[in-house]
Amino acid sequence: MKSINLKENQFIQFHQKISFKFDGVKYFGYKGDTIASALLRNNINLVGRSFKYHRPRGIYTCGIEEPNALVQIISEYSEPNTRATIKKIYEGMEIESQNRWPSLENDFGSINNLFSPIFTAGFYYKTFMGPHKKFWKNLYEPLIRRAAGLGKPPKDFKGISNHIHHNVDITIIGGGLNGLLAAKSFINSNYDVLLIDFEEQLGGIINNSNKISSIDNKEPKDWLKETIQEIEDSKNIKILKNTLVTTYNYINHLIAIEDRFVGSKPIEGKVNSTLHKIRASHTILCNGHIERFLSFQNNDLPGIMLSSSFEKYMCRYGLAPSKEPVIFSNNSNSNSLVYGLIKAGLKPKAYIDSRSGEEIEPNLFDLIRKNDVPLYTNSQIKGAFGNKKIEKILVEDSSGALNEIKCDCLCLSGGINPDVHLFTQSKGLLDWDEKDLTYKPSKPFQPTITLGSASGQFNFDNLNSDINEKLKTFKVKKLDVKLELNTNTKYNIEKLWEVSPQKKSLWAKSFIDLQNDVTTKDIRQAITEGFDRIEHLKRYTTNSMGTDQGKISSINALGIVSDLLDKKVNEVGTTIYRPPYAPLSFSAIAGRNCYEFYDPERKSPIHSWHLKNGAIFEDVGQWKRPWYFQINKDESMHDAVQRESKNVRENAGILDGSTLGKIEIKGEDALEFMNLIYTNSFTKMKQGSARYALMLGEDGMVKDDGIICKISDQHFIATTTTGGAATVLGCMEEYAQTEWPNLKVFMNSITEQYATFNISGPKTREIMKKAFPNINFSNEEFPFMTFQFHEFNDIPIRILRASFTGELGYEIYIPSNSAPKIWDNIQSVGKEFGLAPYGTEAMHLLRAEKGYIIVGQDTDGSITPIDLGLSWMIGKSKKDFLGKRSLARSDTIREDRKQLVGIIPSNKADKLEEGQHIILDREIKSPVPMLGHITSCYYSSTLGHDFALAVIKNGHSMIGTKAYASTSSMSTTGVDIVKPVFYDEDNKRLVS
Amino acid sequence: MLIINCPYCGPRDQSEFSNGGEAHVKRPDGSKEIGDREWGEYVFIRANPKGLFYERWVHTHGCRKWFNCVRDTSTDEILVTYKLDEKKPNLNNFKSVVKTPSGEPEVGSGNFTVEK
Repeated sequence: MKSINLKENQFIQFHQKISFKFDGVKYFGYKGDTIASALLRNNINLVGRSFKYHRPRGIYTCGIEEPNALVQIISEYSEPNTRATIKKIYEGMEIESQNRWPSLENDFGSINNLFSPIFTAGFYYKTFMGPHKKFWKNLYEPLIRRAAGLGKPPKDFKGISNHIHHNVDITIIGGGLNGLLAAKSFINSNYDVLLIDFEEQLGGIINNSNKISSIDNKEPKDWLKETIQEIEDSKNIKILKNTLVTTYNYINHLIAIEDRFVGSKPIEGKVNSTLHKIRASHTILCNGHIERFLSFQNNDLPGIMLSSSFEKYMCRYGLAPSKEPVIFSNNSNSNSLVYGLIKAGLKPKAYIDSRSGEEIEPNLFDLIRKNDVPLYTNSQIKGAFGNKKIEKILVEDSSGALNEIKCDCLCLSGGINPDVHLFTQSKGLLDWDEKDLTYKPSKPFQPTITLGSASGQFNFDNLNSDINEKLKTFKVKKLDVKLELNTNTKYNIEKLWEVSPQKKSLWAKSFIDLQNDVTTKDIRQAITEGFDRIEHLKRYTTNSMGTDQGKISSINALGIVSDLLDKKVNEVGTTIYRPPYAPLSFSAIAGRNCYEFYDPERKSPIHSWHLKNGAIFEDVGQWKRPWYFQINKDESMHDAVQRESKNVRENAGILDGSTLGKIEIKGEDALEFMNLIYTNSFTKMKQGSARYALMLGEDGMVKDDGIICKISDQHFIATTTTGGAATVLGCMEEYAQTEWPNLKVFMNSITEQYATFNISGPKTREIMKKAFPNINFSNEEFPFMTFQFHEFNDIPIRILRASFTGELGYEIYIPSNSAPKIWDNIQSVGKEFGLAPYGTEAMHLLRAEKGYIIVGQDTDGSITPIDLGLSWMIGKSKKDFLGKRSLARSDTIREDRKQLVGIIPSNKADKLEEGQHIILDREIKSPVPMLGHITSCYYSSTLGHDFALAVIKNGHSMIGTKAYASTSSMSTTGVDIVKPVFYDEDNKRLVS
Repeated sequence: MLIINCPYCGPRDQSEFSNGGEAHVKRPDGSKEIGDREWGEYVFIRANPKGLFYERWVHTHGCRKWFNCVRDTSTDEILVTYKLDEKKPNLNNFKSVVKTPSGEPEVGSGNFTVEK
């Protein structure tokens, strides 16, 4: 195919040469060229290899519908599958062809074409399901993985995208003739309008075809310029160019992606795309139509192109891909191409039409006659032939005779389809038009208006009345545009989906989906094998499943299927059109919510101290908590945890508990409310005392625990688990609003307002005395589970005597801003007593030694307080609380429920593992009846051996017996089932 | 993404809200004897109709208020939102609602692009 540059073109700057590399070779294009137009200018027709058979492929279209010309942009982090027909070139751009090895010209994978008879529809399924599974693993899969596919994944991709929200009255999608006219109607109206076009220049068909000769008695070009200016001047209309609407959701929620670097290389660190999230009251779809192709033998050869695309290359890029293309059509849409070619001084090599002479438009007839173009009416192309490019075609004329025509380019037109993707995404319904042979929008589901060819209006005669009628509700000024056409014809089409090949052969291929290498034969086979529902057929054959989603071919497939099944196309239906309309990168979707902004990190006020003191952090929800502190780089986690826990048992330790959820509850009826929320009874509780409390779900299962401080009957402070804080507050609010709105009670999170330090260990009292000299910490003045408010250096603090380690302990609550100061003070006075910080791991070990549970670790949403042996916490005299009635359900009173027990290895030297099963038999013989599993497991240097908490069936009555724990090496360890307390069973240390 | 009209704040994006399941499920009075069946139904059993549905929502990332709505589960259209203390609207008032996109039968996906 030899291309020629046409005379001056308004979109291409012929004086500005641009160099780029394709497969390592340097070429030149002009400013404004896409990769495709630049390659065509350089007479490069072979641009890629196909997905399955590695067949040579060229440039088929001139837009977003391109199935073949997908390239890898090496100069942009090796971005794969870029459509060459859209991507603009820039100086120094590096492009590579895809899916070929070692080179595009000599591709080893094209051997697949020889084996193609076995790669038919359902090949993968059949191979998978076949009896020789080893073949799949050892032969087929490695082979297919190497051979199949499109581009290679990008490298170090660093795209940055911004998200912008729009709230408008009207979104107009498509800035072609109808989109511009619609926008023109809204000029200076009271509506906020957003006009979106995918291209750099507005105008659509006016720019891309020869169809229109004048608008309002002006050159289309001039009218366009004036109209765009008027729209741009109007304050209520915003125009987004280079923006593709990919998604049409419920309630007119649209997602569009804007390319910010059209025709230039994206700058690293700069925003390269913007994702627009648009909410509109009305959406006006003016997104036009897409031409479809036709199926015949070798309809995929490079040099074959859609006729409207050829026309677009001429009008838009000043380039005729060939001097003398053959045109093959079954409709009137390619008339304007014939007109355009002749106007440009070129001549089609032949015009082949499946329609009869009477049906062909008289003015086309005249044009063809006058210029001596060979005309074949009632004729069909049986096949195209050539080596890596089209060289000749075989035409069957009206008499049935075969004619061979030598050619270097073939323009195809199989009719046009309204671009219904967005309309169907909006849940609008389509209807098959028997005359125009296409699906057209019929019933919108949302406030959606379709205009122009997007609505199936392929003629221009109702242009004004259609727009005026459909925009009536907006009461905008009426249009009266005068339109003159170059080829004054009404859209006319004859049914033709496929031409059967001249010779039957296993290797003869008529493609129905170019990108996924689906042939019409595959469709037949799928139907024979019973996949005759269109959704099944699509998945079985992979028809229209590529990145182009079968934009030029899916309707043809429906036509073929309807003929094969002898059903109306409406009965066959279409597959669902799902977003996105065209691929968009994940980086655009992620926007700025990535890397450090993916999920916020929450840090305690003491975080910087932890950093300086060797803390290794653990993620607890969004919180960063010190897991353990390394005193030197060589200290292992095990050593650190044992050192920290030992220090708590012998001296004293301090834990940053600021992440614990804290909720303040106030109000006249706060007491009644707390009694309803928690299992415990707070009525008789003294002011200034605290209580360990459980919260259940209505199903009776433990949902959270914490310590409740009663300041008065009208004022409580509850702590929650770190991870449960939001849920507990949400639950309280829900019940306060929905179930007990009569209770006067308010609650608020004070988690971040207060830092919490948990100090515990036998020497704690000494440290506290020194740190807060004006407070009496004696057992009499400050007994266990009480709290006091104090002021320390003008800082209001609350001290609670409680412990999660089993040692004498205090929790200090301090306003966050003052926390670091007090923390430092405690550190310095505690030094002489051996005070050291400890992390969450040591805390877990210490609490497990005491048998204190962690909700979410030792419970899993199926454990009741009774299962935990915490019946004493249930306020039995209370009439009601969350989940109370469920504690008497048949399931919760069942005897063989899983219950919390302690586990120690019978041989103290043995190891236990968290998550392992407790079983009765030493031998593992499947099926193994499982009693339950180990929920927490640690080595304790205080005890000198491993120990664990477990939930096992009937656990409470099994205490004192022996069982086995499975191990990860598939053996068992003998264990003793004991009470879930391993240290200081009578709480002497706690209350000392 | 839906737009939900919070009775306190006005129309807001769905992402600000959380769904709370079926509305007008009465919690049995704890001060009285509650039978197993009655309690079991309250805890575990919820309606899951195709069509009009009384539903609870909470404006989690907003005013944190709970409210009720009538939603058509087949079209996702929210027909009305109302405060908890307001009377529940009669579903017969919503007869004119848009049917499922394809007007498909009572059971089914509704995923059609052509009228059935």
